[in-house]
Amino acid sequence: MMNLEEICVFVLEGALKAGAADVSVLASDYREDMTRFSNNTVTVVKRISNVTVDTYVSKDRKRIVGSSSDPSYGGLEKFTNALVEACGSLQPSPDYMPLPEGPYQYVSHENYDVRIAEDDLLLIDTVKKVVETGLHAGASRLSGSLTSNSVRSHLLTTGKAEGSDKKTGIVLNVRAFADAGGSGHGLSCACQLAGFNPLDASRTAAEYAVRSSNPRAWEEGSYDVILTPTVAANIVQNVGAASSAFAVEAGISFLSGQLGEKTAVESFTLRDLGCATDGLGSRSFDDEGVPTKENLIFERGVVKQYLHNTTTAAKFQKVSTGNAGIIDPHPWNLVVDEGDYGWEEMLQDVKHGVIVTNNWYTRFQNLRAGEYSTLPRDAAFLIQDGKIVHPVAGLRLSDSIPRQLKNIAGLTKERKWIQWWEVEIPVQTPAILIRDVTVTKPKP
Amino acid sequence: MSSDLPAFAVQVACDLGAEFAEARLHENRETACLLRDGEPEPAAIISSRGLGVRILCKGALSFAATNDLSRDSIRILCKDAVRAAEASSVILNKRIEFCEQKGVKTSWRAEERKNIENASVEDLMRILWELDKTLRHDYDGITFTNRLLTISTMLEMKTYVNSDGAQIESRVPRIQYSSYLTTPFEGKTFTVTIPPGYSQLGGSGGWETVERLNLQEYVPQEAKILAAVIKNTSKPPAGVVDVVLGPEVAGIVAHESAGHPGEADRIQGREAAQAGESYLKPTDLGLRIGSDQAFVSDDPTIGGSMGFYLYDDEGVPARKRKLIEAGVVSEFLQNRATAREFGLDSSNSASRSVAFDREPIIRMANTFVEPGDYSFEELLEDVKIGVYIKSFMEWNIDDRRFNERYVGLEAYLIEDGQLKGLIRDPILEITTIKFWSSLDARGRDLTFNAAMCGKGDPMQAAPVWTGGPHIRLRGVGIGAR
Repeated sequence: MMNLEEICVFVLEGALKAGAADVSVLASDYREDMTRFSNNTVTVVKRISNVTVDTYVSKDRKRIVGSSSDPSYGGLEKFTNALVEACGSLQPSPDYMPLPEGPYQYVSHENYDVRIAEDDLLLIDTVKKVVETGLHAGASRLSGSLTSNSVRSHLLTTGKAEGSDKKTGIVLNVRAFADAGGSGHGLSCACQLAGFNPLDASRTAAEYAVRSSNPRAWEEGSYDVILTPTVAANIVQNVGAASSAFAVEAGISFLSGQLGEKTAVESFTLRDLGCATDGLGSRSFDDEGVPTKENLIFERGVVKQYLHNTTTAAKFQKVSTGNAGIIDPHPWNLVVDEGDYGWEEMLQDVKHGVIVTNNWYTRFQNLRAGEYSTLPRDAAFLIQDGKIVHPVAGLRLSDSIPRQLKNIAGLTKERKWIQWWEVEIPVQTPAILIRDVTVTKPKP
Repeated sequence: MSSDLPAFAVQVACDLGAEFAEARLHENRETACLLRDGEPEPAAIISSRGLGVRILCKGALSFAATNDLSRDSIRILCKDAVRAAEASSVILNKRIEFCEQKGVKTSWRAEERKNIENASVEDLMRILWELDKTLRHDYDGITFTNRLLTISTMLEMKTYVNSDGAQIESRVPRIQYSSYLTTPFEGKTFTVTIPPGYSQLGGSGGWETVERLNLQEYVPQEAKILAAVIKNTSKPPAGVVDVVLGPEVAGIVAHESAGHPGEADRIQGREAAQAGESYLKPTDLGLRIGSDQAFVSDDPTIGGSMGFYLYDDEGVPARKRKLIEAGVVSEFLQNRATAREFGLDSSNSASRSVAFDREPIIRMANTFVEPGDYSFEELLEDVKIGVYIKSFMEWNIDDRRFNERYVGLEAYLIEDGQLKGLIRDPILEITTIKFWSSLDARGRDLTFNAAMCGKGDPMQAAPVWTGGPHIRLRGVGIGAR
């Protein structure tokens, strides 16, 4: 089989020979090991290896993207020819822009740990310790998945952009259950083993589980809500997605028309980082070969920029922000600036509220307006007059993201990296306190 | 697709000590077109092809996948899979075993009158152009200023071999359409989808499926209704009322609160840290959870459906599963491992994988409320005050599948058995037991919507149908935003 560089050259030359004008080829070698466990025992171990070739081609201002995971000579030849032929039968795009001209210098992000890349049995022993730690901390059963991955990629374009990137990642997603309805979530994710703390995550999950046993009654109404980083990340990833210029242009972003507007509180600053230490989404170049970088999406509450590729940038009269996505520019790693609250201080600032430690199933009634609801899961606690009173369960938060951004009352100093099953874009965020969130439950 | 490679992989795995081995050569091809506000975005051609191998060794389960289909690579893959299983077996609390299943040699395919591979990007774009033209109309003061339309053809081909002697080839083409429409109205901007609820119109079959979807009639008709919905400001009645739900809502409820909680792997806790568990326990077969009108089934064998198959991804012949019968939990969705745990002779063919690099797990196929014998008018006729929720946008359910919410999109007030006009965003927030216990009548109609159901780690989005007739609930609480 060809190596990644050879694949890029083969596909690019083949596409040009078939009549393409612009060509961008991204070849990636992805490997993943996963150990899943539930009820304190391993359920399955997995190993996935996948070489994919993502290609963008233009011809006579017509544009097409393709993805193939047949990296053989014959497979790539067939794929490339089919792609160029299909491109030729499309209508020209009025938005067509040529690929940006390189060559470029790329910054390395150092998010590669050879121990993660090469130790295929690392996970099984770690899972054993995770379960033991959680049980020791009071849980009765633990479930989760421990995943390590490595990605090597190579990019080559007709704009003379060429670069290589490699990264590793390791993520523990663990859920602990205690008696009488208690459950807790723990998470540790990092690019290097040095930043990975699985036993802390297991302990956190178990402690939450124990503390949330025997949840008590609560009333529907308006609450101040403390979102731990896991939950804040779930909301922030939607803010990141809404900052894509494609989403703005397609009318489905609640940040449409908000450029330069104060759309959040002064304490809210959000960045997209192409390369971030321990940022699992890091890559040195985007799909057009443009170097990734730091982009300020929100600065002290003001929307500073959308995320662009070359095509959207031209339409908005901006320059690419290095976030291609040929069709849909996207964030790489979202980072919320730290606040100035300590955890206890934030708690004391709540007269009548709840702490939500985990959530899922965030769904929008009106995506453009950012109106949605989401379901807290695992440990949640009622706060009265600055003190945790008792655990609660069965909550639903119903709100709009624009309203929430304007009602952030505080952010903690401490931040955490979050990426797991419900948070696809890696987010580094503090806990966030939001005032006056509607909390509901099923009608009797 | 040749069975040589999967057969080779199974042989290698068994020679290395696997007590059971299966291999699936799995190919997916998709062509997708996207039209934004009448302008073409890049089309997309996506293909994936590779081999997934699953083995049982010393009581442990291991899955490995690669798209390097050389024999050397497959040997390494199997060796790694066996080694990983052996390593994890020493920390197992409980052996994993499969129930018996005699291997079958066969091939099957979804009905395909016009080869899906002959549908070109031009064919797809033509459909989107025509639809966009109709969506640019003025709908009584509403103009959809932003329109994001997408249509795709998909082809899934598998060759499955296992050490029990199964050798099964399959081919399933599919088509699906979805769209986002945005419009400003009186100072606010609304995004809705057609079909509503972020779902799709779709089914399995060849290019002839696109005729069956009848997009040219359905899409503008729906756009007209949604324009009226957006303009309406009437609130729903507060309090406890009777509720009639359209098939789209009945279908999603069936999927979320009867299908998902009935997945045996979820009941056993295998998905606890991801998609959650279930309010049902392993001993809950025979438990009453609803009225004697509650009938929910899941059936992979429905011709033309998104979830269509005739053999599952463990080689088990597909059949209809009756999940809830007359309000009683009748059957869970099983694979060979859970069937063994439950002491069953066979799984009920619920094992699916969406790609070569995804482990087969328990999935739904086409989940629906069974039709009854009421006409729509009969469902309305003795409702003094109520709400008819025909479609929804926002929905969610907790991770035990008990606390669920559906926010209506197209919805009407019912007074004295008559529909009296649109109402905005009625919220049905209810428990699963309350929902199914309040069901007192089912229509004789039956329609389906397509959807992509997410489960598993790593995530797998499985094509499914959700459906049902119109149904009626008595005396449930309705809220408003």
